[in-house]
Amino acid sequence: MKKIKTASTTGRQHVIVGNCIAAVSAAETLRKMNPQDSIVIIGEEDVPSYSRCLITYFLGDMITRKHLLSHDAQWYAERNVELMLSSRAEGLDVKNRQVMVRQNGKNKTVSYDTLLVATGSTPIFLPAFPYDPDGIIGMRNYADSVRLKSWAKKGKKAVIIGAGFVGLKSAYGLVKQGVQVKVVELLPTVLGRMTDLEASARVKARLTRHELLEIELNNSVIATRKRGDGYVVTYQDGTEEACDFIVASVGVRACTDFLKDSGVDIDRIVLVDDRQQTSVDGIYAAGDVCRSRHIVTGEWIYNAIWPVAAAGARIAAANMSGEKLTYEGNIPMNSVDFYELWITAIGNVQDEGPDVEEITFKTPAIYQKVKLRGGVPFAFMSIGNVDGAGIIRGAIVGKTPWEEFVRRPNAKVLPVVNSYAADPAATACA
Amino acid sequence: MKAFRFIAENCDLCRKCEEACAQVCGSSKKQSGAYVPHIRVMQSPEGPFMRLCKHCEDAPCVDACIGESLQRGPNGLIIQDEDRCIGCFMCNMVCPHGAMKTIMSQEKAFKCTLMCGKEEKPTCVFACDRGALFFDDLRAQNNEKRRAKLRGYPKK
Repeated sequence: MKKIKTASTTGRQHVIVGNCIAAVSAAETLRKMNPQDSIVIIGEEDVPSYSRCLITYFLGDMITRKHLLSHDAQWYAERNVELMLSSRAEGLDVKNRQVMVRQNGKNKTVSYDTLLVATGSTPIFLPAFPYDPDGIIGMRNYADSVRLKSWAKKGKKAVIIGAGFVGLKSAYGLVKQGVQVKVVELLPTVLGRMTDLEASARVKARLTRHELLEIELNNSVIATRKRGDGYVVTYQDGTEEACDFIVASVGVRACTDFLKDSGVDIDRIVLVDDRQQTSVDGIYAAGDVCRSRHIVTGEWIYNAIWPVAAAGARIAAANMSGEKLTYEGNIPMNSVDFYELWITAIGNVQDEGPDVEEITFKTPAIYQKVKLRGGVPFAFMSIGNVDGAGIIRGAIVGKTPWEEFVRRPNAKVLPVVNSYAADPAATACA
Repeated sequence: MKAFRFIAENCDLCRKCEEACAQVCGSSKKQSGAYVPHIRVMQSPEGPFMRLCKHCEDAPCVDACIGESLQRGPNGLIIQDEDRCIGCFMCNMVCPHGAMKTIMSQEKAFKCTLMCGKEEKPTCVFACDRGALFFDDLRAQNNEKRRAKLRGYPKK
């Protein structure tokens, strides 16, 4: 392969497009493994890297701006990483190994030897609720949280479309600001496929104990229109409701726009191999923009969670440095807290089938459920008490048979295991 | 790098390790004001078991921490900036040892960060006179399968 001259004179130039966890995780590993090479991060936003998972906490004033914006200029300087802010990657020239960037109205090109695509994902908007900077936005980045915060005044009313993790966390943040919030969800459960009906009812009951928060399931928004300073939403049953602003949280799509026609294989998300490399040699991807393996089944899945981005990017960075490592992937999982009600979910709890068995543990405060297939746990959900959830995650990932797992001393930490071990017949139900 | 090792057969649940941890560790005292050790020895029908951070080489908690509160410190140990913990309990969800001490009322998770300052022999190990708790080389503790998995793994 023809090697072209790069900006760096001492070594290779590694370019990272994106500036969230995958980017900083990769930059850190690249720097450790290649002290002489130059590293450039191209970030679309005007602030340095921060944790996107924390923006809803910032919205609810649970953390400060300083806490949120964790990576200051010094962080980049210490690792000798060049950071280009307000820079949007607009195209990719695979042949000449260049990224076309638009920064503050000017076009630039950045040459690379290896490239990491870590552009992440962006909220989905539908024709019924199109993006509108004045009042219909998603909750994805710092700018979104700042904008929402400026709208979130006492007495205002917001409609949140979608009761997934982002939707409910946004609702939680807005309610803390005194905003009246209505969350509308198409599915019969909150938090998507990570809860069952009972868990969903418990979460909903806890959240809506707050007088400002309302959650409506099995409903959707079919139209929105502007009226005065606010909006009117139309639900599927034809009823209308006025509100001041709308948050769309029905899901995300991978930010692959700048890769269009570049030769990098995309099927809605970037198709990487086990080494995190794309179909083009020298171009890698990590984080929410690409696929990863389901660690148990080995299938390619879209698992847009923080730990996958952090670990996948590190593997990508090692491979960009000449290593030959593979990333085994992870399992869909998430964990969150609303008003001291903890929810941890690992795997697809709604997975049904003739060969699926479930084991539950219920008290007024705690609800735990394990799903087994062929006697091996594949999903776990816990509400109220999440202590030791990682122990059962270990069994799911390690495909440990349930009967073997319940005999392990530390498995007894989980109420569902403890009660099953004491009386299997009472807790197991088909 | 060193890590904790527990020998269940030698443990008689005297709880000296827990007491020592709670007395010395400023971190756990500061946060709760009560007897909250980072090390927990528990009884089960199969015998005692320990819940304590093993400072894993691949540390899934560090990758999972959305608040960037858990980090690998300069000495290779997993350290925690407790002020940055926002209580999502992602760490608890991925820790195979159940080591995270989840305190619901404080909306935070805590762990052993070797704040007792005794990296040669931590307070809990020093307190154990039953020969049940050791602090020794991590690599020696890993079995062949795990050693193979960790070979070449880029550390956070």
